[in-house]
Amino acid sequence: MSLADDRSPAPRAAPVWRIVFWRELRDHWVGGKALVMILIYTLLLGIYAYLFASNSELQLLPLKEVVLEIVKAAVFVGLFICLIVGADTVSGERERATLEGLLLTPTSRRQIILGKFLSALSLWPATLMIAIPYWVVLSKGDPVLRAALLWGPVVGTLLAPAFAGIGMLASIWSNSNKPSMLVSIGLYLLMILPSEYSGLATTTVGAQSTGLSDLFQLVNPLGASSRLLHESIMADAPASQLWLWMTSPILLPAVVLAVLFVYAGPSLQLEVGMRRLRVRPT
Amino acid sequence: MTYSETTPRRTEVLVAEGLQKSYGPRMALRGLSFVLKAGRLLGFLGPNGAGKTTSIRILTTIMEPDAGHFSVDGISHEYPDQIRRRIGVLPESFGLPKQMTGIEYLTYFGQLYGRTASDARAVGMELLEEVGLKQRARSLVSTYSHGMRQRIGIARALVNDPVVVFLDEPTIGLDPRGQQELLGLVQQIAEERSAGVILCSHLLPEVESVCDDVVIMSSGECVASGTVADVIGRTEQNMMRIRVPPESLEDAQRELGTIASVRQVLPASGMPGWLRVELDEAAAADPFVNNRVLDTLLRAEIPVLSFEPEGGRLQDVFLQLTAGGIK
Repeated sequence: MSLADDRSPAPRAAPVWRIVFWRELRDHWVGGKALVMILIYTLLLGIYAYLFASNSELQLLPLKEVVLEIVKAAVFVGLFICLIVGADTVSGERERATLEGLLLTPTSRRQIILGKFLSALSLWPATLMIAIPYWVVLSKGDPVLRAALLWGPVVGTLLAPAFAGIGMLASIWSNSNKPSMLVSIGLYLLMILPSEYSGLATTTVGAQSTGLSDLFQLVNPLGASSRLLHESIMADAPASQLWLWMTSPILLPAVVLAVLFVYAGPSLQLEVGMRRLRVRPT
Repeated sequence: MTYSETTPRRTEVLVAEGLQKSYGPRMALRGLSFVLKAGRLLGFLGPNGAGKTTSIRILTTIMEPDAGHFSVDGISHEYPDQIRRRIGVLPESFGLPKQMTGIEYLTYFGQLYGRTASDARAVGMELLEEVGLKQRARSLVSTYSHGMRQRIGIARALVNDPVVVFLDEPTIGLDPRGQQELLGLVQQIAEERSAGVILCSHLLPEVESVCDDVVIMSSGECVASGTVADVIGRTEQNMMRIRVPPESLEDAQRELGTIASVRQVLPASGMPGWLRVELDEAAAADPFVNNRVLDTLLRAEIPVLSFEPEGGRLQDVFLQLTAGGIK
């Protein structure tokens, strides 16, 4: 053995979050639900785009509105997918009886949660990659594509961690997937329905929107995102006028991730309701 | 190099003192105390609801005790991360990921215990060989039979070369040959690795044959603990069961009733063809009483198909000690 061999550092074990991340990523993408959801997503976007391109009544819509609708659909469905995958991460393991083995290892709960979170988040870039060609085709070379390519990814990238995190919080606090999914979907509907209603009002009555409806839209992260996309794509508003609508899409992930990694993750237990272990510093 | 080769192990690898746990108003565990020594196999017994699962969950740091203390390899339960490095657990119901092969599964867990990927893989292959699954190392674990799943579960419990191994009902659902093979493997783990093994099982004859020590739980309390022989010896032994042909049952009952030291002879409940013979207290101390009972039947030309002193088996002790505690 040479001197150089003697001096070479011993190989170090990978950090836990990375080990969990790769395993989860593989579970999601090889025979897991991620692949199925991405296929459904692609199909939905295809149908949506086909309708805009072929339906005679929809063809009458201004090009900017067509692009706005396909960007919103791509982003909001992408967020839904992150939410659903997040909602299975812990409660699904409880159902499949695989969580106990993981919790019996001397690993940090926070690192386990980080690995799972990153793998749930892996669906967002995939959905974005699938959506962009549709945006390009439907914009027909119009300059509106630039706003779509900027603000669609910005909004989605801000909110995807929040939605994956909301799903994971529901999952951590549920013993099975049923309540976890119900809570997650319920929260999503609670945000998406008013935002779609507000979006409709903005499109149809425009200047008549009241201060109160603006406030609701501002507070609701999906409503604010919808408005941000509307202002940037339909009205070509400069970035300086859009910051207000980015407030809740920035605040939501900050709050969700803080709760996930500071409180819920470290107190992860085999069953909901078990008392958190008191650990003395080593 | 394994942990056992580098670190001198303590004789007492697990010490539990006065562990208590309650769920709301219900006391699930009322002061459990016992000691497990290195290389010993301890049978952890009790009827359903006796507190076994709660005890195991506390001792494996999944749950915290309300009161009491335990240590693994000298490390207090207040340091669960350090205890987890020294224990291996096969839970009663454990799931396996669908998309992993046997070797990938063990490599994954080896890495979670801080091994490098190559080291974890090498240890995984050794363990697969130890549990007899080397030929199926590259098969998906979802294609494994129930017995193979239990074996890979045991292999997973050994990836960190533990000081204490907890096996919760490892033989459940296995055929008799599978049970026997698995218990052989459990014995091998205790002997060759010098690990203390806690075996939860309802198979009392098997526990009696493989375990060195036993803890019997009932209604959250430890009702007996010690070596298997000690625990069996502590129970009443003034009963015996005799099996005779059905047509000789009445004759046998009459003949046995004539023996002075026999208190009463009754058909054994739930055991057709068997008689339960109750002796008086003086006879229980007489080493020749069994000979006299058999001699009486032989003189009367009654065929004896089977004979067993009651109280001489772990099963009898278990039933005596847990009567009323079964839920």
